[in-house]
Amino acid sequence: MFYRQSGVYHTRYAADRALWPIPADRWQVLALAALALAAPLLVSSLYLGSYLMPWMIWTAAALSLSLLMGLAGQLHFGFAAVMAMGAYTSVHLVRAGVPFELALLGAGLFAAVIGTVFGAAALRVKGLYLVMATLAMQYLVDWVIVNVPAISGGAQATLRTPQVRFLGLPIQDLTSRYYLALGWTLLVTLFFLNVKRTSFGRALIAIRDKDFAAAVIGVDPFRYKLLAFMTSSFLGGVTGAVLAFCYYRAVTPEQFSFNVSIQLVAMVLVGGLGSAVGGYLGAGFVLIVPIVLTNLIATLGASQWIDISQNMMAHLPLIFYGAMIIGFLLWEPLGLAKIYDNTRKYFLVWPFRHSRS
Amino acid sequence: MSASENVLQCENVSRWFGGIHALKGVSVSVAQGQIYGLVGPNGSGKTTLVNCITGFYPPQEGRILFEGRQINGMKPYRIAAGGIARTFQNVALFRGMSVLDNILMGRHNFMHPNPLASLFYPWWARREEIQHREKVEEVIDLLQLESVRDEHVDVIPLGLQKRVELARALSAEPRMLVLDEPMAGMNQEEKEYMVRFILDAQESLGLTVLIIEHHMDVITAICDRTLVLNDGMALAEGPPKEAIADPAVVAAYIGRTGDAA
Repeated sequence: MFYRQSGVYHTRYAADRALWPIPADRWQVLALAALALAAPLLVSSLYLGSYLMPWMIWTAAALSLSLLMGLAGQLHFGFAAVMAMGAYTSVHLVRAGVPFELALLGAGLFAAVIGTVFGAAALRVKGLYLVMATLAMQYLVDWVIVNVPAISGGAQATLRTPQVRFLGLPIQDLTSRYYLALGWTLLVTLFFLNVKRTSFGRALIAIRDKDFAAAVIGVDPFRYKLLAFMTSSFLGGVTGAVLAFCYYRAVTPEQFSFNVSIQLVAMVLVGGLGSAVGGYLGAGFVLIVPIVLTNLIATLGASQWIDISQNMMAHLPLIFYGAMIIGFLLWEPLGLAKIYDNTRKYFLVWPFRHSRS
Repeated sequence: MSASENVLQCENVSRWFGGIHALKGVSVSVAQGQIYGLVGPNGSGKTTLVNCITGFYPPQEGRILFEGRQINGMKPYRIAAGGIARTFQNVALFRGMSVLDNILMGRHNFMHPNPLASLFYPWWARREEIQHREKVEEVIDLLQLESVRDEHVDVIPLGLQKRVELARALSAEPRMLVLDEPMAGMNQEEKEYMVRFILDAQESLGLTVLIIEHHMDVITAICDRTLVLNDGMALAEGPPKEAIADPAVVAAYIGRTGDAA
């Protein structure tokens, strides 16, 4: 964030590798975390439940996907299916009497296993072909969920999530659900940041940047791509379960359709590949855009400026996602995170013009 | 010289790509601690030979032995774990990382990368990260890269990038170092620095070095022995000055006296 680096000298490697090596930065992060914790007192329940909580959960989802797409460089266009597996697994486990904590873990593990099986098959191909293979996964999982009544409860069915307790606390009212979502998102964020500063993350980035150079330094590319699929699917599965229990409080197949996969890819690309800040910015941006767009067009429609059908209204956000992805890929491939970084660096050296790197 | 003294032994290595016969039965023996030069005109098979040694593609014929163990047909990451590190003709650094992280990548074989270790960083990964950071700092010190340690690799000049690549290879603690044109595109001063660093590293770490280079002054200055390749075949082998002065070599590089007319 915004700070001055002058006067900060590290004398130990551990301090140099800290997540926020500069004290001012650390305080700002803590302040943000405090604001997030105090949010139920600060904002109305409408904002908490329909803006803040979904933002947190989708951030966790975007970060899970960003681990695979941003760090390891493997495209995945079926991530909603991974989340669906997590959501359905957790609901069925809780219904079978498994404690919620274990059900969350089980959701992650199941998604990781299936995700890895698909990954192992998909990783024999690269680039566009990998996109096709993951798309196939999306449709296969969708089909299985809809057509196996034991999972979905029937094609048009909605499974309500049962009452659960997390570590003894009931997850019932909005505040408790918000805290669970926030806790999971902070954990995913911390994990993401830690991956980037350890050997595991470096190996993933090495494969993304130059796979042959990674191989001659001792990285087994297939093994690490698979590990990336596994880790990302685990996180995606748990996030799907959190989404089902905290936000939707029910699961239906449409919640995890192909559109959602595209929305997730948009979040990662718009936010910035492989960036933790980008996860937050991307998820926030992609969630807020349809709301703003709908309001804007409704206002314009009401004032007789334009005439637009309901059907068109529903599709406008999708059109906008597509335009956004193309726009960012063309002009700012590193997304909102890079725009934020540029702004920050501009002010860091202000009033001088040039910053390093 | 018996096979046991030779760190690297290539026996009748052949490799072809479709109709192109890139290597035709080349044999090389590199003894422990030697700096071995590999020269030849463009397209003579130098890089193909090096790619065979480091496992990019196996030779179709012949054997490659490293410290008495057969390595042809092994995957590159296995060969790397066995103690061979290399650099590339066109710099192959990881462009999304800082100089420091690039060199830390060289420690990959000695670390235990694992998502759970990353999750529990303070208890599980920190000690290892710092332990290897100390090793990497020794290499940074040896190659005088302190000033660019925290820079992104794509913003530093080419000469330094090549040095970072050397640092990455050295931090893997190889017993054999393969350098593919480490001085391509460098000016005289950068070249002299690079030669100094290669000699320093070779001396202080007891390395065996296989080096491809087009600068003949470098080859004659630092190599113990040299193999000249042309058209996939060994043209001459021996101490660099003698190998380069061989009439067949002169002919391959400059053309025969009769051709000029």
